[in-house]
Amino acid sequence: MASGNSTNDRGNEVLVKENLNVRTLILNRPRQLNALSFQMVSQLLELFLAYEKDSTVSLLIMKGEGRAFCAGGDVATLVRDVAKGHWRLGAKFFWTEFILNYVIATYTKPQVSILNGIVMGGGAGVSIHGRFRVATENSVFAMPETSLGLFPDVGASYFLSRLPGFFGEYVGLTGARLDGAEMLACGLATHFVPAMRLPLLEDALSKVNTSDPAVVSAIIDEFSQEPALKDKSAYHRLDIIDWCFSRRSVEEILSALEGEAAKGTDDWISTTIQSLKKASPTSLKNSLRLFREGRLQGVGRCLIQEYRVCCHVLRKEISKDFFEGCRAILLDKDRNPKWEPSQLELISDNMVERYFSKVDDEEWEDLKFPARSNLPVHAMAKL
Amino acid sequence: MASPSSSSIDQVSWRASVLSRHLQQSTDNSFQSLQSSVCLQYSPPELSEKFEFDVREMRRLLDDHNFEDRDWLMGLMMQSNLFSPRNSGGKVFVSPDYNQSMEQQREVTMKRIEYLLDRGVFKGWLTDRTLEGEMRKLTLMDVVTVFDHSLSVKIGVHFFLWGGAIQFFGTKRHHDKWLKDTEDYKVKGCFAMTELGHGSNVRGIETITTYDSNTGEFVINTPCESAQKYWIGGAANHATHTIVFSQLYINGSNQGVHAFIAQIRDLDGNICPNIRIADCGHKIGLNGVDNGRIWFDNVRIPRENLLNSVADVSPDGQYLSEIKDPDQRFAAFLAPLTSGRVNIAGGSICSSKISLAIAIRYSLTRRAFSVSASRPEVLLLDYPSHQRRLLPLLAKTYAMVFAVNYLTKVYVTRTPKTNKSLHIVSSAFKAMFTWHNMRTLQECREACGGQGLKTENRVGNLKGEFDVQTTFEGDNNVLMQQVSKALLAEYISAQKRKKPFEGLGLEHMNGPSPVILAQLTSSVLRSTKFQMDIFCLRERDLLKRFADDVSQHQAQGESKAHAVLLSFQLAEDLARAYSERMVLQTFFESETCHSEGPLKNVLGLLKTMYVMICLEEDASFLRYGYLSIENAAAVRKEVMKLCSELRPHALSLVSSFGIPDAFLSPIAFNWVEANSWSSVHH
Repeated sequence: MASGNSTNDRGNEVLVKENLNVRTLILNRPRQLNALSFQMVSQLLELFLAYEKDSTVSLLIMKGEGRAFCAGGDVATLVRDVAKGHWRLGAKFFWTEFILNYVIATYTKPQVSILNGIVMGGGAGVSIHGRFRVATENSVFAMPETSLGLFPDVGASYFLSRLPGFFGEYVGLTGARLDGAEMLACGLATHFVPAMRLPLLEDALSKVNTSDPAVVSAIIDEFSQEPALKDKSAYHRLDIIDWCFSRRSVEEILSALEGEAAKGTDDWISTTIQSLKKASPTSLKNSLRLFREGRLQGVGRCLIQEYRVCCHVLRKEISKDFFEGCRAILLDKDRNPKWEPSQLELISDNMVERYFSKVDDEEWEDLKFPARSNLPVHAMAKL
Repeated sequence: MASPSSSSIDQVSWRASVLSRHLQQSTDNSFQSLQSSVCLQYSPPELSEKFEFDVREMRRLLDDHNFEDRDWLMGLMMQSNLFSPRNSGGKVFVSPDYNQSMEQQREVTMKRIEYLLDRGVFKGWLTDRTLEGEMRKLTLMDVVTVFDHSLSVKIGVHFFLWGGAIQFFGTKRHHDKWLKDTEDYKVKGCFAMTELGHGSNVRGIETITTYDSNTGEFVINTPCESAQKYWIGGAANHATHTIVFSQLYINGSNQGVHAFIAQIRDLDGNICPNIRIADCGHKIGLNGVDNGRIWFDNVRIPRENLLNSVADVSPDGQYLSEIKDPDQRFAAFLAPLTSGRVNIAGGSICSSKISLAIAIRYSLTRRAFSVSASRPEVLLLDYPSHQRRLLPLLAKTYAMVFAVNYLTKVYVTRTPKTNKSLHIVSSAFKAMFTWHNMRTLQECREACGGQGLKTENRVGNLKGEFDVQTTFEGDNNVLMQQVSKALLAEYISAQKRKKPFEGLGLEHMNGPSPVILAQLTSSVLRSTKFQMDIFCLRERDLLKRFADDVSQHQAQGESKAHAVLLSFQLAEDLARAYSERMVLQTFFESETCHSEGPLKNVLGLLKTMYVMICLEEDASFLRYGYLSIENAAAVRKEVMKLCSELRPHALSLVSSFGIPDAFLSPIAFNWVEANSWSSVHH
């Protein structure tokens, strides 16, 4: 049985706690807010595959060490790796991470993720696809990739596009932060449990000896609360969000928002417009198209498409925004990225189309998943 | 649980366990847990079927253009509660709620239109006349049809008939006044052409309009009950304005049929004075469209409301027209109906795609009967007979998709020179494809068995929803006669002028008649040359026979018009031969621009299946000897072979239609769970 402190020198990045039929996976890089390294995603993938075959395991719990659940993929390391060598180093990270996301999305045993802190990017990828997501008053969810010159990946084009109305477009394009109550309201979380009750919840879950989701759900229900949405919650703005974010293009979304803004001063609208204007135009266009396609596809197909776009991003042939975003936000920290192209209007459909095409490289291939038994219908890759 | 590939020992023990379970049923307490391992389990076809070609690439080939617009509009509909999302078997499906009353269906259809309007779906539909704008509009119409035919018909009447009439019959003053307001739904238009007494024969309508030069107004009247406007979509509840088709009398002389704009409701929805409106009532389908009847009692409209692109009346009451020939004037009037036929041809194929996707997915998960007692039951689509029922229809649908793409291109790039051939092709395709759709729907309904009868499963219900397509915008039989008549006219004039055929796709008749080999082997049957030759041979021979038959009748003293009527059997055969040859040609063209590979191989199979099934179904091949009896038998054998060759691709082929799961139905997915007790709302 694989466990956290065995095979490799950075092995402590994922800790495993064993309890009869339950395995608790603890993301353990607290100083980096548990950002996922390549070793971590590889190890998680191994563990997930092993536990699926292991008939003594009936339930997985995932949580983070410290104040974050997981702040995303370890992008800083990734960018350094790519800068040093070939884009393939980066592609390998995404490949493994996306396979992990797929395995989680199609997992036959229930996974309970305890989201007591920051859940961003890659952190959403290892939790939201699972069966149960427990939010707390400390939860902070965001997919901030468009401000980094990337796009919401890890299967976000699947799970964000399935949120009510056009809330997913809003969350994914603006990078807006959601708290635990909002996560529950929109369906990103399945339960809300106050943080102080988490030890009791974990204790109760550690005694589970079945994979029946109804049983697991009933246990979490016992500790759950219905939190009130804060007055200023974006979720109260669903009407405006639907009105604006259902538009055909990013340009039209912006002009719809500006139309609303013209009706009167409103902090929420101006903040929303500001986030869109600060984000990489290329990222916005790629993201919107991924959401729109993703809404009609299975999770597998979504990940395959995201992987294609990722590889194009890493190859820097169409735009270098991801590297510029990482420079400005993560490395130099001047928070002033110079996007290129700098405006939405300068990005042709043809440019976006290139991101969605196969990579022109003999060694490159589309993301390929391990065969899964018992694929749930919703996970089926279509089109 | 045993799979079909298990050894026979396994199967025997599996069978034994099934039997013992039945016997123990009443006594065994653990029955619950045992039951789940023995009962039929749904297995998604994706797990067992192979994907040998790139489904996305095929989808792009079929959809051809505006992919992102398609995805956007599908998403718009799926994300709104107005489109009646329902959860079944763990999936969400959107389709109209047919449990609603007719009035409710009409209101929700109008609300859906307002929702789409607010989201900018109709932006540019009448004001953007670029090629891109036209393509986008046709694409979005197509997508709306996937959700609901009522919705697309109601939108179609407003934009393509009312809006189209203003565009094509009107001049600048009408365009400036009406097009933008129409696009924004500030006015809601309808199109009053058909009357109780006259449908296809528009020239016979009885509504009368005169001109009053004292006031500068036209006066419209419904002189008798048979002149009431009938089936007018939008008239019963929502329309504020209508195009009125009417005979125009100037100084007592009839100038023929003209089109006018009349207001029928005020902005509050009250019916205007001198207008009477009644409902057409509940229909066999399309109840989301408010079809109504209109009577005009001395309705006065300003002189400017005559749509005057081909003829005008001066303020003092003089009739003015560039086109002196009333026949030509009339032809100019009917031009907008072409766009309707393009939409209908496309819409009918949408419906065929949906029903085939559902029926084929179901047939890949539903089993019936075992070949022998110890074997598991057989998947429906593994029965050769089931393949023969569905796969030829699938091949035809593919062929027609390519034909619709061709028709769309011809339509958006039309010029005065191509109008005639556009008219003929669109008539032929409209008739052939809507008939094909009705047949496909019935076959798919039966192939789904009892499940096909449930409204939620769409297939059966679509029969009622789409039946109207064989009648509106030109009765199919009348259209097919027009096709033959046009071909005949072309034939006669080419002979008179002693010039080769040009246009209409008859160029193949300029060369020598193709020769068909006496013995048709499988490889000959699959060759492009043979396939084109046999279709061309049939078409040219039928055209000659039709011409001969007509002139024989004429020689016996019949008028030309009557002679054509007497030759209706040949006319029907000819129109069909023409359409099928045109479709095949578009298939060839789509296929040739593709590079070698698994996708092209499958296209080849589909194309051959299309040809073979046409050869098998049209008796004229045997009747007139284009195929010998032996060769007809060889064709039949080939159909069977092709069925088994297409069978492995069935799932990929319907997946390539690109219809999102939400627009299919519960039996296309986990129908066991969708029907489980736990999904019943107690």
